[in-house]
Amino acid sequence: MKTTNGVTLPGMELSDLVGKLIVIEGTDGVGRSTQIALLKEWLEQKGHAVLDTGLSRSGLVGKGIKRAKEGHTLGRITLTLFYGTDFSDRLEHEIVPALRAGFVVLTDRYIYSLIARAIVRGLDPEWVRKVYSFAIKPDAVFYLKIGVDDLIPRVVFTRGFDYWESGMDVYTTEDMYESFRRYQTSMLEQFDHLAEEYKFKVIDATPEPRKIFEKLRAGITKVLEGEAHRQAPDSPVIAVPTAAAMPAVPVPAPTPITSASRIMHKTPEAEPGEERATASPAKPKSEPVAEADAKSEVAR
Amino acid sequence: MKRYGEHRFPGRLFVVEGIDGSGKSTQLMLLHQWLKSEGYGVVFSEWNSSLVVKDTTKRGKKKKLLTPATFCLIHATDFADRMERNIIPLLKAGAIVLCDRYIYTAFARDIARGLDPAWVRELYSFAVKPTGAFYFRVPLEVSITRLHAARNGFKYYEAGLDLGMTEDPDESFRLFQGRIVEEYEKIVPEFGLNVIDATLPIETQQEQMRELVISKLERAKQLRVAP
Repeated sequence: MKTTNGVTLPGMELSDLVGKLIVIEGTDGVGRSTQIALLKEWLEQKGHAVLDTGLSRSGLVGKGIKRAKEGHTLGRITLTLFYGTDFSDRLEHEIVPALRAGFVVLTDRYIYSLIARAIVRGLDPEWVRKVYSFAIKPDAVFYLKIGVDDLIPRVVFTRGFDYWESGMDVYTTEDMYESFRRYQTSMLEQFDHLAEEYKFKVIDATPEPRKIFEKLRAGITKVLEGEAHRQAPDSPVIAVPTAAAMPAVPVPAPTPITSASRIMHKTPEAEPGEERATASPAKPKSEPVAEADAKSEVAR
Repeated sequence: MKRYGEHRFPGRLFVVEGIDGSGKSTQLMLLHQWLKSEGYGVVFSEWNSSLVVKDTTKRGKKKKLLTPATFCLIHATDFADRMERNIIPLLKAGAIVLCDRYIYTAFARDIARGLDPAWVRELYSFAVKPTGAFYFRVPLEVSITRLHAARNGFKYYEAGLDLGMTEDPDESFRLFQGRIVEEYEKIVPEFGLNVIDATLPIETQQEQMRELVISKLERAKQLRVAP
């Protein structure tokens, strides 16, 4: 059964959250979104319904945070709590309903990035951890680890430095390069502490994306298999394609919809016209199968 | 980050607490007038939230998007904004700051909505500890009679309709305020709030308030003349 880091929010029933919560953490520019796109496609091909979500994407607060960051107007405690509001909204309105419906929830960062950012901005580490103690403990946190010397060229040669990713609100320097280096060094230090405290699975993020993807895939397979063994010991073990067998484009070996599959039977509520996380498309046609599968799952 | 009680500013902070219709705002206004006439640098903290936070709160309320958790957190965000940009700078400048409602309102309201009491207290631990906090204690029936005379109908979240206790706004308001009063009564001893009997004549309540405020102002005056 899922648990939280200490506090349970009113009305949050944890006992029927059958899906898997998988977090991809890592600093800015480390390649999280590339990996999530690959993983989502791979998981869907395996027959899992996937919800991918990330920070500042809540219907309630997402736009407000973007606006606040444009104007740089909020104080550090205020900004931290604004992020906390956004996180709570996503947790209650997206993540929990998806987990209840049996999705694999892939989230691009989680409370750990929020904690690291707040601590680097001088807030009390104990306070920040307690603020986020209502978060559901993920089934796995994969941390894409990179050193600042490997990170800088990636950012410089792609999109360039961003005000917030360079911590320009933290340091008084006008030098964006220097600020980026200092800020990211502090962030990575915090991530190292968090990795130990919250038992992250650390993945070296310096090799090419395919290699990282293979490692993530192996790690996630373990998380999902653990579940399959517990629920249905007779089900065939899902074959994981080896590195050598992997084609250049992510087309994982076709896996039949086995008992390990978690198929969506309910779309998480989305506010009309709001920017919500993208749920897996093409669900209507698989609805009857999904229902049947969900029922058989319950029967087991 | 300094936590509740660790701040040492030259200014003074007085806050009033109590349910709607307890008469706390009237008392604070009278205190303000008196302090001004006595020549103190007094500021009534009339807070205009940052637009981004205000818009989010407004939209959340209007569309009924707020859960007890997000209701709590968006108000904590707004309060932090007020603390960082308004109250702390004023206290640093040596002002006497008056606030109509403070963190205790949030404690009572959020806990009445089912949030964990220890967690909510921790959430607000960045707040400055007031120099003096007054709780205007009033029987629910008295406050409701006062409110009925003053306005027509309660708002959705104000009446605690989001908790789904009943669909009748008046009844829901009564139930919700009842829970809030229960929480206030726990907060009073824990945080040393000064209780004022809000059924007494307005003048008597004001005298009691001024007596306590003046006892905390001696050093404020000295600080204003000393460098």
